[in-house]
Amino acid sequence: MEIIKVNKLNKSFGDHHVLNDISFTVNKGDVVAIIGSSGSGKSTLLRCLIDLEKADSGDIIMEGKPLLNAGVYPIAQDIRAIIMRMGMVFQHFNLFPHLTVRQNLELAPKVVKKEEKAQMNQRCESYLNKVGLLERIDAMPSTLSGGEKQRVAIARALMMNPDILLFDEPTSALDPELTGEVLSVMQSLANEHMTMVVVTHEMGFAREVANKVLFMDSGKILEEGTPEDIFNNPREKRTQEFLSSILREQSKKATKKYRLKSIK
Amino acid sequence: MSDFLTYLSNITLPMLQGMVITLSVFAVTIVCSIPLGFLFTMMAQSKIKPIKAFADAYIYVMRGTPLLLQLMFVYFGLPLLPFFGQFLIFERFTAACIAFGMNYAAYFAEIFRGGLLAIDKGQYEAAKVLGLTKIETMTRVVIPQMIRVCLPSISNETITLVKDTALITVIGVAEILHYAKTAVNRDGGTFAFLVAAVLYLMINFVITMVFKKLETKYEF
Repeated sequence: MEIIKVNKLNKSFGDHHVLNDISFTVNKGDVVAIIGSSGSGKSTLLRCLIDLEKADSGDIIMEGKPLLNAGVYPIAQDIRAIIMRMGMVFQHFNLFPHLTVRQNLELAPKVVKKEEKAQMNQRCESYLNKVGLLERIDAMPSTLSGGEKQRVAIARALMMNPDILLFDEPTSALDPELTGEVLSVMQSLANEHMTMVVVTHEMGFAREVANKVLFMDSGKILEEGTPEDIFNNPREKRTQEFLSSILREQSKKATKKYRLKSIK
Repeated sequence: MSDFLTYLSNITLPMLQGMVITLSVFAVTIVCSIPLGFLFTMMAQSKIKPIKAFADAYIYVMRGTPLLLQLMFVYFGLPLLPFFGQFLIFERFTAACIAFGMNYAAYFAEIFRGGLLAIDKGQYEAAKVLGLTKIETMTRVVIPQMIRVCLPSISNETITLVKDTALITVIGVAEILHYAKTAVNRDGGTFAFLVAAVLYLMINFVITMVFKKLETKYEF
């Protein structure tokens, strides 16, 4: 079943053509990884899907309902109804700093869905338990580590029971040793067949967890396929260059870590 | 010694009456100018050009002219306007409250604008993707954070307001300074000014404490 269908999506910031005839489909249970160098349009694409950016032309169909129909957006109410079926996890977490962890999770269910308190509390606790942070339920976000913040952000998104979760570079703002705890939460969501679209620089995650990989370059989807296709047999020269530069980068980091360890 | 105490109570008792007036002007100004200021902040953010232009012009005029002048304009100037003047004759106390409320609204509007600027774009985005409406986003996410950011500036402005109330003596409102001046003119000594200073300090001591409490309460 199609969750999202994107057809010939275009977007420009002034003269800069950020998205150029983007088309792809996300099916139920898919884990789609969008990879590519910075400035290739990955994040803009993701933000268009949930109406944080307005596209110029094309279609975005979410579960059969048009969020964008031949470049035309529906009325605000309809847009809101559509994006409420989606959840989003941001690079910089965007937790509400004035609310406790529990209040962060319960704000939207309480205000938007008027959910009954007992049920909401119970769901809040079970999602926090799932991301391993039940004991931090009354903490303020400023007292959490980056990895904990991102796990709370994932739990907050889950509270709205989305049909699809979008991740915008969820581990890019984290210290390297904290990425694992976030990736493993995402891995367990994938195991439960949560539909996800993940913009990421974590090639390991794209290779292990995703079932579909999109490689973007200068606003276009240059190559699309299974992780094996993209990582083992990339067709395009740009894809090969990108992957080898990423690999070099990562092995450099690994050596650095090794050196630091040996110094200690 | 008892002479001194008698003198002290003679000049202080009327000044305490004046303090009631000072505190009344202060209270009315705070209660009116904070919501009004927030309204002007919202208007200045508006996408509708005339609304934004009006708010910008209002803030510019109110901040760009002396409060003393505005005070005299409201009390002495408005009744002299053609046609409308006859409807704009106010009691001294009312005139003082109008001038202060309007002036302080402009300053509070700027403070709130600064507070809004301090709030990260990601907060609005997170609220939007969770399905909150614009109004829910303001009341649940933006304003609570804005208050925290603005508190030190609001505290500062409130203390300035207490001291500025001394200006209303020029339109003949009998507040603290009015009685102090009377005592000084009558008795020759400047001791009454000292008493006035102590009264202002007492008010501001309480205000400082209240804002300290508020700041701890809103800390996150």
